[in-house]
Amino acid sequence: MTDPDHDLEQALAALRPRPPGPAVLARLARDLDAPASRRGVLIAWSAGLTALAAVFAAAFAFLSFPAEPAAPSYQLVRADQSPAALQFYRPVQLDDGSFVRPVRVRWDNTTRWEDPRTNTRLINYRPHDQLTLLNLETN
Amino acid sequence: MSDAHADQDWRAWFAEHGARLRLIARQWTRSEADADDVVQEAFVRFWKHQRHLPGNPNALVVTSIRRAALDLLRRSDRRAVREKVVGDEMETVSWFEPEADPRLQALAASLQLLPTEQREVVVLKVWGDLTFDQIGEQLSISPNTAASRWRYAMEALRKHITVRTHD
Repeated sequence: MTDPDHDLEQALAALRPRPPGPAVLARLARDLDAPASRRGVLIAWSAGLTALAAVFAAAFAFLSFPAEPAAPSYQLVRADQSPAALQFYRPVQLDDGSFVRPVRVRWDNTTRWEDPRTNTRLINYRPHDQLTLLNLETN
Repeated sequence: MSDAHADQDWRAWFAEHGARLRLIARQWTRSEADADDVVQEAFVRFWKHQRHLPGNPNALVVTSIRRAALDLLRRSDRRAVREKVVGDEMETVSWFEPEADPRLQALAASLQLLPTEQREVVVLKVWGDLTFDQIGEQLSISPNTAASRWRYAMEALRKHITVRTHD
């Protein structure tokens, strides 16, 4: 079924309404561009501040929280052994009839390494405690 | 009417649709200057607050225009008599660009002579791109009434242009 008004509607659509004058455009620009400009300034400011914050955060993270610290490189700087502390006990007789004197010897070793790059130290302290038997000659 | 996307420049959208909006506004205003004011107010409202809303942007912008026009009419009621005189004078201003085709010239002149209730239906259907249902909602009439006014308008236009082109 054809629309009898179709040709007339087509002719109407071919008419070109007069556009609003330049004064309307100027007023629209005043109303629509000004807020956009303010928005643009705000966006620019916020973008700048965000970038600045990102830089500070990156620097803070880099300086304070190294993700993968380098392995320490220690160098031996000192090795000490303390004087032995001797403790003599009374002689005792063994099963074979010989005599021995128990002696307790105590000392310690301290070894120190340092990593000058990180100014860290590694100290190894090892105490020693030994009991020995000194043979006694009985003539 | 193309969608008013968020990233679209209002100038581009208005350049494409401004003339149609002004013609629609002219149906509910007393003068060309009032139509300009209404278009400005309605378009700013639409662009700032309504173009992101779901639904047909045609209906949204036409609603905005009609509301702005009715507000203006209410504000200027006390000046109605003076505006009526000005409006009558302004009726001589064509709403359309000059056309070389005499049939189109006659059609443009005849449209302005239609009764208001028929003319606004024609304008909303042709330049507002609205359906009879949407026109009914805009004008608070039934779709059947809108369609009926359209048919009366078509008959009247056909008679007018026949007479004019034979003059």
